[in-house]
Amino acid sequence: MESSVFSFTPSPSDHPVENALRVAVQPNMSCRGWPADAGSKALENYTALEDAFVIAQLKQANAVIAGTTCMSELGFGLVNDTGARAVTEDLADAALITDYIGESRAAAAKAGIFGFKPSWGRMSRRGLAGLVPSMETWGITARRVSEIRQIMQMVCVFDDQDFSMRPEPLPDFDLSRSFQNQAPVIGVAQGYEQRLNPNEARAWNTALSALKTAGCEIRPVHLPDPGLFSLAHHIIAAVEASSSAGKYDGVRYGHRTDACADWNQMYLKTRGESFGTLIKTFLFQGAYFQFQQYEAFEQACRARGKLMDQTLTALADLDGIAGLTLGEHSDPPAAQTIEDIYEGFGFTLPANLTGLPAVHIPGLARHGRKDFGVHIMGKLFKDPDLLALARFLETVTSKAGAA
Amino acid sequence: MTYDAVIGLEIHVELNTPTKLFCDCPNRPGDPPNTHICPACLWLPGALPRLSRAVVEKAVTACLALNCTVQKYSAFDQKVYYYPDLPKGYQLSQHHRPLARNGFLNIDTETGELKRLRIHHIHLEEDVAKLVHETEGRTSVGLVDFNRAGTPLIEIVTEPDIRTPEEAVAFLKRLLTRIRYTGASECSLEKGSMRVDANISIRPKGSDVFNTKVEVKNMNSIQHVKDAVAYEIQRQTELMEKGTPIVLHTRLWDPEKQATLAMRGKFAGPCVPDPCVPAIEVDDAWLAGKKAALPEMPDLRQERFVTGFGLALDEARAISRERDVADFFEAAADAGAHPRKAANWIISQLVPALKELDLTLSRVPLTPERFATLIRLLDADEINGAAARTVLVKMLSQDQPPEALVDAHGFRQVSDTRALEAIAEKIMADHPSDVQDYRSGNPKVMGFFMGRAMKAAQGKANPKRMKEILIRKLSQ
Repeated sequence: MESSVFSFTPSPSDHPVENALRVAVQPNMSCRGWPADAGSKALENYTALEDAFVIAQLKQANAVIAGTTCMSELGFGLVNDTGARAVTEDLADAALITDYIGESRAAAAKAGIFGFKPSWGRMSRRGLAGLVPSMETWGITARRVSEIRQIMQMVCVFDDQDFSMRPEPLPDFDLSRSFQNQAPVIGVAQGYEQRLNPNEARAWNTALSALKTAGCEIRPVHLPDPGLFSLAHHIIAAVEASSSAGKYDGVRYGHRTDACADWNQMYLKTRGESFGTLIKTFLFQGAYFQFQQYEAFEQACRARGKLMDQTLTALADLDGIAGLTLGEHSDPPAAQTIEDIYEGFGFTLPANLTGLPAVHIPGLARHGRKDFGVHIMGKLFKDPDLLALARFLETVTSKAGAA
Repeated sequence: MTYDAVIGLEIHVELNTPTKLFCDCPNRPGDPPNTHICPACLWLPGALPRLSRAVVEKAVTACLALNCTVQKYSAFDQKVYYYPDLPKGYQLSQHHRPLARNGFLNIDTETGELKRLRIHHIHLEEDVAKLVHETEGRTSVGLVDFNRAGTPLIEIVTEPDIRTPEEAVAFLKRLLTRIRYTGASECSLEKGSMRVDANISIRPKGSDVFNTKVEVKNMNSIQHVKDAVAYEIQRQTELMEKGTPIVLHTRLWDPEKQATLAMRGKFAGPCVPDPCVPAIEVDDAWLAGKKAALPEMPDLRQERFVTGFGLALDEARAISRERDVADFFEAAADAGAHPRKAANWIISQLVPALKELDLTLSRVPLTPERFATLIRLLDADEINGAAARTVLVKMLSQDQPPEALVDAHGFRQVSDTRALEAIAEKIMADHPSDVQDYRSGNPKVMGFFMGRAMKAAQGKANPKRMKEILIRKLSQ
């Protein structure tokens, strides 16, 4: 069983501390001396030269890196991803999953555990071989919020070599606010329920009841059309991916095709053989916007700025904006095309586009046998408060479960 | 029909910062291949670029020296294209928001008029790796040296204001002098720290249209620029007269064939804002500090040398061309050297000697104070010009004051009247017929007497005093 979850595990002698937090990572998260192929032939046989900043922080805090899980190619989507399974099968206390569009939260939702994406700029991206620099973060999945908080406390250290990090005092996740004396205020997009199908709406109403029972104040807020988030995400992410994957040329590492007549043929053949259909499609789309529709890319960037402003404004007096994590027919782990990806991650991608922290809470939005999950976006860089809210709701859920 | 040329230049200048643009690797591209590389400049998976503050500071200083307006905000873009010398599929450059805009330099045209040539903008960018083509053996291979990957460049893009090869040369000379003054770069086309591309088109005289331009690359000296631009103007003129359309493309200057040769279609890939490198925000107070710290530029210094030290315009221009030379001159004059004499010796003796030995003033033990002493010794006739030249060259390698070298080599001149009179009397006694010849009205014999006298004094006689004594004695 273990071998189908992990693509690489260290020898037992690499486990120096007993009862330490066990963290599973993906093979695009650099662990010195470990294979780091990012699930792609483009990085075939590549070995990481140094620890990623986050990995180094985890090791310094005596966490154990349990191994690398299987991942989708370059971490885009969840096909073949086994990160959440490492947690549910108790092979790790937490699993880190690269989050471009909602992968960590969707994986958690499918597995019935918690999933968290920090604010962009809260965790150093150095050593994370990513694809969409302006949106990617390390996501964390775990059975309990406490493990997520524990990891955040370990890794949220300022890295002066990652400009995206905010040079300010880092948060103390143990001293975040409590909701015991002041009820959380949760925003819900006006007309949200009308956008859901009947089963989704039923699950959502279950969640709303649970939130209200827990004492949450539900407040309708004006939010932009979710389709705009998806469109802007798609164009910008594809363009960034096209550039980011440019370095996978087979010249210095990774798969390289057999001898060719000239270097141009070598590039074409190497890259043609290196990437799977999903990534190729995404890179082609990105190149199309770069070379043929640059104006559309510029419009997407402008739209992104407005969407961020509008979302931040809506969040001003709230503790979070809630919705479902998954739609009834969305099945992120099975999404094999770009259309399926954007369909499956439609509820989670606004947090990536805006850089806001977001958490998936299991157990609150059930209908029938399906748990649609509650997805809450918090305020920028208020990650501890969002995790405190998640902890508060976790307590509610467990009480409800116990009852 | 006669034509006007329309010429714009794109000039890459390599900044001489200690490290590269986005990492801490040494900025020494000429060192043994692939010795200055790291995950960031190799763009290994997960590596992040970190913008060098030192690069931004030097670049801003160079922009100010070229009279540009430094922009409050500038940012990097990805210039997307594939080539083996580019390890990540795009070059980090500033396309949409360059570091500085709207600069200018004034030049003197061939007709002696002052002409202002405008600079459209200056942007920062990283250099690419160097390709080495190994052709020995059965299969030729292309090797990549990443030492140069990520070294810092500024690209200076002019407006198409240049009309002749001579103007292009004058502009480049003015530009490299000013940048060298800031200490931001050596600006050597020969050594590769400056590269010039020229965009050239022609149009009927009097017209204001911009016709299709041709880019010319691979000009490795100022003379190459002049020759290549002149050739290209001639080539396009001939095409125009034959009615052959001019096509947008790039050509390479071949200095051996003295011709430009077609290279490839002009690249026009996209430039996408980069999400990994921080934007540059220039603080007003910081910029004011940089402006205040800008060294006095050569044209102002030239003026001051004329008015303050009494140098002729040509002397002042030559002395102020390089900052280290101008600093040296000024310090020597302050140390008491006669300014014009010091300037002449620097231009005619010191600079050529340094060039011959491939040295710079910063690498020799000669100080301005010692140089001033040497000039004083010469001025006081303590040594003659030949001895002064020898001592000057020795001071480039020996850490000794000029007096010590003069005495050690017995260069001090004999100015003692009695000793010189004795020499004169002996020569006259040995050559009575020549004395008679002189006294009969043949002044040319003086050269013979001077030669004999200097030989008798083993070259140490003060020639001015010796001549005076000879004239007096021969006239008695």
